[in-house]
Amino acid sequence: MPGLTQDRLWSEAVILEAPNRVLRVQSTRDAYLCLKNHWPLPDGEGSARREALAACDRVIDGEDEPDAARAAFMKAAEEAQFSVHSWTSNDGG
Amino acid sequence: MAGPEDKAIRVRDVMTRQVYTVSPTDTAQSVARLMKETGVGALPVEVPGVGTILGIVTDRDILTSVVAQGLSTSTAVFEFMTVAAESCEEGDSILLAAQKMHDLRIRQLVVVDEKRHAAGIIALADIIRVSPELGGLVLDGMSRQGSENEHHEGITSCPA
Repeated sequence: MPGLTQDRLWSEAVILEAPNRVLRVQSTRDAYLCLKNHWPLPDGEGSARREALAACDRVIDGEDEPDAARAAFMKAAEEAQFSVHSWTSNDGG
Repeated sequence: MAGPEDKAIRVRDVMTRQVYTVSPTDTAQSVARLMKETGVGALPVEVPGVGTILGIVTDRDILTSVVAQGLSTSTAVFEFMTVAAESCEEGDSILLAAQKMHDLRIRQLVVVDEKRHAAGIIALADIIRVSPELGGLVLDGMSRQGSENEHHEGITSCPA
């Protein structure tokens, strides 16, 4: 688990939509918390989710750039069947 | 009454050094997620990359200024935070910190260093832990002020 006293902001927010839910995420720490605590898949399920958690860990530890966590988070969101909206995504609004 | 030992106990002796800070552009929902994970109900707001403390945001702010007002949960922190929150320094006595909490009717103070970066946070519970009498005085004062305010709010003026 990364140290949550640190955060690294993203250049653009990512908005995830599901029936009756909208998650707006714009930082690595928040993405980590969404993946860990507020994800529709049961704990431990989803390979993209596991990769995204690992990416967030690396970014918070300063071993990678924030956009790496953002890209991995968007893949995990697609895996979880969220509708993903972002200025820089292909399928976004 | 608070004893002389309360002047000798410093904020640094009782404060929590692990501080979770948020950015002014974070959202109400992201702050709520961090509060849930950490169990902390008050988070200092800092300028990202600079570290200067701008204010504080509490779980109560989210309830009263966002949810109760019908605002979106993606409302940015700078829209509902308390700007330039009252702070104290590590070398201050807990008596001074307690006095500020009493006067401002707040239960947490951000502890800042000389650069106004967050060094910690001190809660009324931290003061109660080392000085139950002093903490009790603050709580009594807060509840008395609260009941006085409720009384005044109930008064209506009569035309002459």
